[in-house]
Amino acid sequence: MWERTLQDLIRGLRANKKDESKFIAQAIDEIRQEVKSKDMELKAGAVLKLTYLDMLGYDMSWASFHIIEVMSSPRIHLKSVGYLAAVQSFQQNTDVLMLTTNLLKKDLSSKPDDIAVTLNGLSHIVTPDLARDLSQEIVAMLNHSRAHIRKRAVLALYKVFIRYPEAIPQGMPRLREKLEDQDPSVVAATVNVLCELVHRSPQDYLSLAPQLFHLLTTSSNNWMLIKIIKLFGVLTPYEPRLVRKLQPPITDLISTTPAISLLYECVRTCITGGMLQNASGLSLARTCVTKLAGFLQDSDQNLKYIALLAMVKIVPTHPQLVAEYQDMILSSIDDQDISIRMRALDLISAMVSRSNLQPIIQQLLSHLVRSDSSLPSATQSLSQPPRLSTSPSQSPAYRITLAQRILALGSQDMYDNVADFEWYLSVLVDLAYVAGVSVGEQIRDQLLDIAVRVRGARRFAVQLMIKVLSDDTFLFNASDEGSCAEILWAAAWICGEYCGELAEPYKLLTYLLQPQIASLAPDIAAVYLQSAMKVFGTWAAELAVRWDDDDLPKVKSMVDLVLEQSGTFAANPNIEIQERAAEMQQLFAFIRADLNAHRPKASAEFDYGGASGFNDSTAEPQFPKSLFLIQPLFRSHELNPVAPNAQTSVTVPEGLDLETWIIPPPKEAAPVSGEEERDAKEVRKKHKKGKTKDKGNGKGNAEDADSNGVAPTSRHVETEEERAERERRKAERLERLRDDPYYLIDDRVKASSGPDDVDSIPIVKLDDLPPPTQGLEAGNTSLPRLRDTPSAMSPQTFVIDRTGEMPRSAKTSPPAGALTPTIGNGAAATTSTEALPSFPADTAPQASSPATPQAIKVTRAKKKASSSGKKKRTSTLATANTDTT
Amino acid sequence: MIHGVLIFNTSGVPRLTKFYSPLHQSEQTLVQRIFALVAPRPPSLCNFLDAPELEAFLSPQDGGERLRVVYRNYATLYFVFVVDSAESELGVLDLIQVFVESLDRAFENVCELDLVFHFDEAHHILAEVIQGGLVLETNVEEIERAVHDAAKARKDSYASANPLSLGGGGIGSRGPGVQTPLGWLTGKLTGVGAR
Repeated sequence: MWERTLQDLIRGLRANKKDESKFIAQAIDEIRQEVKSKDMELKAGAVLKLTYLDMLGYDMSWASFHIIEVMSSPRIHLKSVGYLAAVQSFQQNTDVLMLTTNLLKKDLSSKPDDIAVTLNGLSHIVTPDLARDLSQEIVAMLNHSRAHIRKRAVLALYKVFIRYPEAIPQGMPRLREKLEDQDPSVVAATVNVLCELVHRSPQDYLSLAPQLFHLLTTSSNNWMLIKIIKLFGVLTPYEPRLVRKLQPPITDLISTTPAISLLYECVRTCITGGMLQNASGLSLARTCVTKLAGFLQDSDQNLKYIALLAMVKIVPTHPQLVAEYQDMILSSIDDQDISIRMRALDLISAMVSRSNLQPIIQQLLSHLVRSDSSLPSATQSLSQPPRLSTSPSQSPAYRITLAQRILALGSQDMYDNVADFEWYLSVLVDLAYVAGVSVGEQIRDQLLDIAVRVRGARRFAVQLMIKVLSDDTFLFNASDEGSCAEILWAAAWICGEYCGELAEPYKLLTYLLQPQIASLAPDIAAVYLQSAMKVFGTWAAELAVRWDDDDLPKVKSMVDLVLEQSGTFAANPNIEIQERAAEMQQLFAFIRADLNAHRPKASAEFDYGGASGFNDSTAEPQFPKSLFLIQPLFRSHELNPVAPNAQTSVTVPEGLDLETWIIPPPKEAAPVSGEEERDAKEVRKKHKKGKTKDKGNGKGNAEDADSNGVAPTSRHVETEEERAERERRKAERLERLRDDPYYLIDDRVKASSGPDDVDSIPIVKLDDLPPPTQGLEAGNTSLPRLRDTPSAMSPQTFVIDRTGEMPRSAKTSPPAGALTPTIGNGAAATTSTEALPSFPADTAPQASSPATPQAIKVTRAKKKASSSGKKKRTSTLATANTDTT
Repeated sequence: MIHGVLIFNTSGVPRLTKFYSPLHQSEQTLVQRIFALVAPRPPSLCNFLDAPELEAFLSPQDGGERLRVVYRNYATLYFVFVVDSAESELGVLDLIQVFVESLDRAFENVCELDLVFHFDEAHHILAEVIQGGLVLETNVEEIERAVHDAAKARKDSYASANPLSLGGGGIGSRGPGVQTPLGWLTGKLTGVGAR
């Protein structure tokens, strides 16, 4: 005998560790020869070897036909090899399985030993076809004289039921009889099968309750009792009367059984079966929780684990009972065993409430802090760069779970459990410092979300974000994995958007414009630039209101700084950065020119008592007018959170087909014609808006001068001729655009044009959010406008804007807001350009912006006539990204 | 239901793998992932393996319930059962004990090498404890008897097919307690943990 047996193969493997794959390749070649042999012993030996190699990861699917050959051997020592190989290698889709029907039938009518092997094998390989063809035989086998065969048949029947449910009606009555089998193992196997089946359709098994109840009260087999208890746990929700019946025996079991596994199962079934609901349930619940708490304190880690698992189930109905053991549960989070920590985390998440969120999150956070146990405050952690840990429980996967859990706990039900947002904001910042895993994006989103939704926390948020911005840690580590540098995005945006909360916003500019931001991700750097512009705008506008000529050098130096930085970023390869920097450069170049041209007025003329700080006699403001250039670009509308379904409730207006191509796919050269006219029109439009804007900025008294046509201010007033000229050009343009496939034309324009001329409607006014006078009031009453938060938003009781903004009337809302989310600021962005004829270049890129398609404005004009149009602000995040377009 | 039974040694080499429901990934990956998580756990920890790394891994793709990993460590071997929530966690822990006791009775002081050289026998013993993912028998005496009967049937069948063979060194012929021709080997080779 020179063929290798399995033992030889294994010995060979042990001897050839160095080139195992070569040895195995050789062995498989031999096997390929041997399985073709006519000698069944040899063939079986080869199949057995193959089965062993299968465990090591070598394919044996090619041998499935040979396996069936071995299965068909009449000798049991070979047959069992065949069945073992089949069990290990056959899948549901193994094609040779359909050849086995008759073989299995024959084996099932063979000797008891053969039947046992066949039933065992069948449980694995049965397919729907096999189940259909063999269900009769297996059901018949339930009455076999040997208990060993009966219990195997019971389990095999389960698989038949699963694969071929049509067999259930026929087989179920016979299976039920097995609950009264004289052999306890058969009964146990039957309970086992029922326990699996009951999940599929619990109602169908309610009729079994009396039999099962009898077993519950008479049996002492803990294995079976566990399964019966589990079964009842599934059944009770469908038959409430069972609860009353089961309570006595289960309470009895809970207090008497020495088997902890059974005890645990009873407790679990009490919980999942809803047995703790009624009055008598409360005492049972107390018993359960007390028992579980006992487990929690047990030195056996398994019991601890089980107790946590069960408590998760009980928390939803009896939170107060579990809360008594909160300290114990919290200490489980510190367990060295990751399994217990994970379960404790689940439990904690289930029991978190407004009152205990703070200690829980602090504790979770302390896990992320490496080495030292004390949790550093936001300020402390600012100075501590994150360190790397080597502790096994600090695995990245665990850290990320923990960090995400903290974020989920805080934001649960729209921050429902957060009582103190200032604290939670610090937690978020702390988290960014200590996490060490990439949760930066979630932190960023939450920071932004809170800053926008919770007005009361804004000032604190800004202060906190300044700390973040002023700390180099994130900047230096930005490229590291898990550095959470995304928090800088939020920091820059929040500081920019809410810099009105600051006393000295210009100090921020040095952080926002430091050259190192080039190392950040492009989207973050872009937000930095954007925020720098916002901050400057706010600061300059504030400065202008209480203008003092001594401020001039400070402004000048700041403008120089901005110009210097934007100059470098204007060459950035990233388009977002480049465009923002280029815009900044242009705007600030103008401001610089204006500042240089500024000549201080005689101080005698300064009169701060006036409503606006204007010098009435000359209609020329004291301050450099360009200080008001930037602010209106960003501040004309308040940013509100948008309701999730706001977008969908905007009805598409009649005649607007969103499916048609605006630009058809076959690309042609972009048309240049019409650009000029549009520019001209833009300018006019801007002029109108500028007027509105100016009013808003507290220069209302200049209006009179305008209308008299006396004051040689920069403001331009439309004369009759000009109006006629405009009408004519507009008609021309519409005529031309009619045939232009690149423009959407609304035919209704014609009908409504006239007094309601599109171009004469200031877009800003359309928005029913801020009345034009609002800015005036704000500008007058308080110098730092946003600094005085409304009294309703006391910092102690934080109000969360949960719903978000909705179009006031979804029916009539123009889609324009949705299509061009930037329209609010976009319109404002062009406010005072008419006043600056020396910089026509500035308007060109904006005028050609794709965000202002003609037809859409037309639609809005109509809506305005019906006075229900409302522009929708975009979501806060989207706006932040796009508000310079 | 029990979805899988794995036995691997302290080096992660599989000694027995049995899956009762289709896998979404290769057996080898599963063994390696579980081994990597189980191996570093000191014996003082609990016998349930819960790790964030496993979350995605054990949640079935068809949206079913999450599986649990219950394991026990005996000498150089890890016995790992992958089960769903229809099984009692502590019950499975006891079931592992039953299986190991059954192996021990069949092999007389079972050691890793018994499983290495008689992996088919180990499968047959497992088949007396679990069939198709459901518990067949939990009584160790009952299991021992069934294992013995089945082994005897195979041995008789082998003997009748090979009347000349002595001691039965052929395929699957080793009954419980029968000294194999390899007995000298198991006695001499003390280095376990190698293939």
